[in-house]
Amino acid sequence: MTATLTPAPERESDSRRSPLAWLVRFQSVLGLVVVFVGAILFSPTRDGEIIFLSGENLTNIVRAVSEIGIIAVGMTLVILVGGIDLSVGSVLSLAAVGSAVLLVEDQVPLVLAVVLVLAIGLGFGALQGMASTLLGIQAFIVTLAGLSIARGLARLWAGGQAVPIAYGSGRGEAPVAFSLLGERTFNGIVPIPALIFVAVAAGAMVFLRVSAFSRHVYAIGGNEKAARLSGVPVTRVKITVFAVCGLLAALAGIVHAGQLNQGSPNDGIGDELDVIAAVVIGGTALSGGRGTVLGTVAGALLLGVLNNILGLNSVDSNVQLVIKGLVIVAAAAVQRFAPRT
Amino acid sequence: MRRSTRVIAGLLTAGVLTLPACGTTSENRGSAGGGQARADACTGPDEDYLIGMSQANLAEPYRVRMNEDIRRAAAKVPQFRVEFADAGQDNSQQVTDVQNFLTKQVDLLIVSPNEAAPLTSVVAKAYNQGTPVILLDRKVNGDAYSTFIGADNVEIGRKAGEYIAQTLLPQGGNVVEIRGLPGSTPAQERGEGFRQGIEGSQVQIVDSQAADWLREKGRETMDAILKSQPKIDVLFSHNDPMAEGAYLAAEAAGRAGGMEFVGIDALPIPSGGIKAVEQGRLSATFVYPTGGPEAIEAAKKLLITCQDVPKTQILQTELITERNATEVYNRENSQG
Repeated sequence: MTATLTPAPERESDSRRSPLAWLVRFQSVLGLVVVFVGAILFSPTRDGEIIFLSGENLTNIVRAVSEIGIIAVGMTLVILVGGIDLSVGSVLSLAAVGSAVLLVEDQVPLVLAVVLVLAIGLGFGALQGMASTLLGIQAFIVTLAGLSIARGLARLWAGGQAVPIAYGSGRGEAPVAFSLLGERTFNGIVPIPALIFVAVAAGAMVFLRVSAFSRHVYAIGGNEKAARLSGVPVTRVKITVFAVCGLLAALAGIVHAGQLNQGSPNDGIGDELDVIAAVVIGGTALSGGRGTVLGTVAGALLLGVLNNILGLNSVDSNVQLVIKGLVIVAAAAVQRFAPRT
Repeated sequence: MRRSTRVIAGLLTAGVLTLPACGTTSENRGSAGGGQARADACTGPDEDYLIGMSQANLAEPYRVRMNEDIRRAAAKVPQFRVEFADAGQDNSQQVTDVQNFLTKQVDLLIVSPNEAAPLTSVVAKAYNQGTPVILLDRKVNGDAYSTFIGADNVEIGRKAGEYIAQTLLPQGGNVVEIRGLPGSTPAQERGEGFRQGIEGSQVQIVDSQAADWLREKGRETMDAILKSQPKIDVLFSHNDPMAEGAYLAAEAAGRAGGMEFVGIDALPIPSGGIKAVEQGRLSATFVYPTGGPEAIEAAKKLLITCQDVPKTQILQTELITERNATEVYNRENSQG
């Protein structure tokens, strides 16, 4: 450990110019390209046409990873400040249930319902951030508790059963506009959830470029004490980051409800692990301070492509689990031996 | 470095947006045409057929057995090749699995849905574009599917109730019921049928508690019930694993001898209910058929012999006691 750490400053200045370091920095984008090419090679074909490359299949992939991807953007911020949020799968479920109950049973207008559900996610995340920073409890513990609390709240709110969403203008029906989340736009080609994912990721990338907030996030993750001493509002930034992650988990939950036409209190179990996997494959260090939203997007897409090509080839589901685990280890290993940038 | 990140970011975002878009125009036309051409999916015995089987999860032995039954039955049809997908109890994953099968343009889909509502639209999409869909065990909403094959849980519960009332306790007695997961349809229906079955008899339900289908919870629940109920004649459980758990509890308390245990499911696997009856732990269990062989039978009609299949096929249960346990176990495992 020390051996790799000591020469780091020297190597860093070298790596600025080295193309190898550049490749490592964008390892997940590179990894995505590798997996993508592999998928083309291993794709089943039909009448000489590569099934994997069909437009329908590619859009399916982005749609399938959109929920995980949306949350992973928030998770990247949390991990950058040295935190972790284990509650996101439960918050997704809570938001899905909330959307269904508010729209179907309570007949709340669409915009208000969406705002309320997002506020719940934001508030939940902010509370976790406060518990973590103000009470000085590790984020792992706080959000482990949050995972349990949000799941319990979702089950209570739903009455233990999934709340089905039917569309229409009558009583007990959700506004038809909500069903758009399960559909496609631009001539029925681009799935709406994929658009939302891209918008969230692009928004986060732009925001991290232009705002001082970004410097604060990286500074805290790099060295929290030094950041505090140099005037970074550490507590406020951390609470904000957890709130954003909660907000995005809730957004994913709304998308989830719209895609599946129900709010189930049992959905999203284990999603936090997929999200963390996307972030780690994306090259963000779990210790904080190092990583990019772009990497995370590539990480999420990499997982999606992998899942898709394994599915298209009907690889045994148990073998799939093993392969996905190995990919995560490989990504972490690349990071471990990467020159620090 | 900052600049390059921005450029890449821009490229990737643009790529995500445009890449699928440009690929899709031609593909869309292609698949729509394909759907039309396969509106009549039946093309006779001279073709080979790819069947996609989307399973809700492989954590339940019942569903592992369902896949196994399908695999065996399909092995006897030379034209059929079956590919399996496991959604791991995840609705989103199952939607993705079905979409993958559609992308591959399978000739027929077999789906055992995790839940109805989330699967409804993707199943309807498949059916409406001309791919026959066979639903196993659980339905989707609406009627956009070719056929549903499943057992009638109310009927099975009623048969269990009648068996207990007429054969085990003709003079009446005390029954404890261990229920499946609260809120789940099979638990509601098996409980409802059971009450119909014992109606008018001297049999009394003295306690009824949920153990969520799980063996270990069955044991835990029975531990508590044994303390509060001094006289239990029959334990009726909504599935075999909970009945086995309850048996362990009663045996540990030294009371298994004076009780009869009745379960449901009767899976023909080493850890299943038929073996438990054969080995004397359960008095009886009722077969909850997987529908696997029937699904392949229906697929043959839909693809090869071009016959009509009924919209709904309800499978019959079978009573398993020590008299027929060995025979049924061997019969179920000798097919194929």
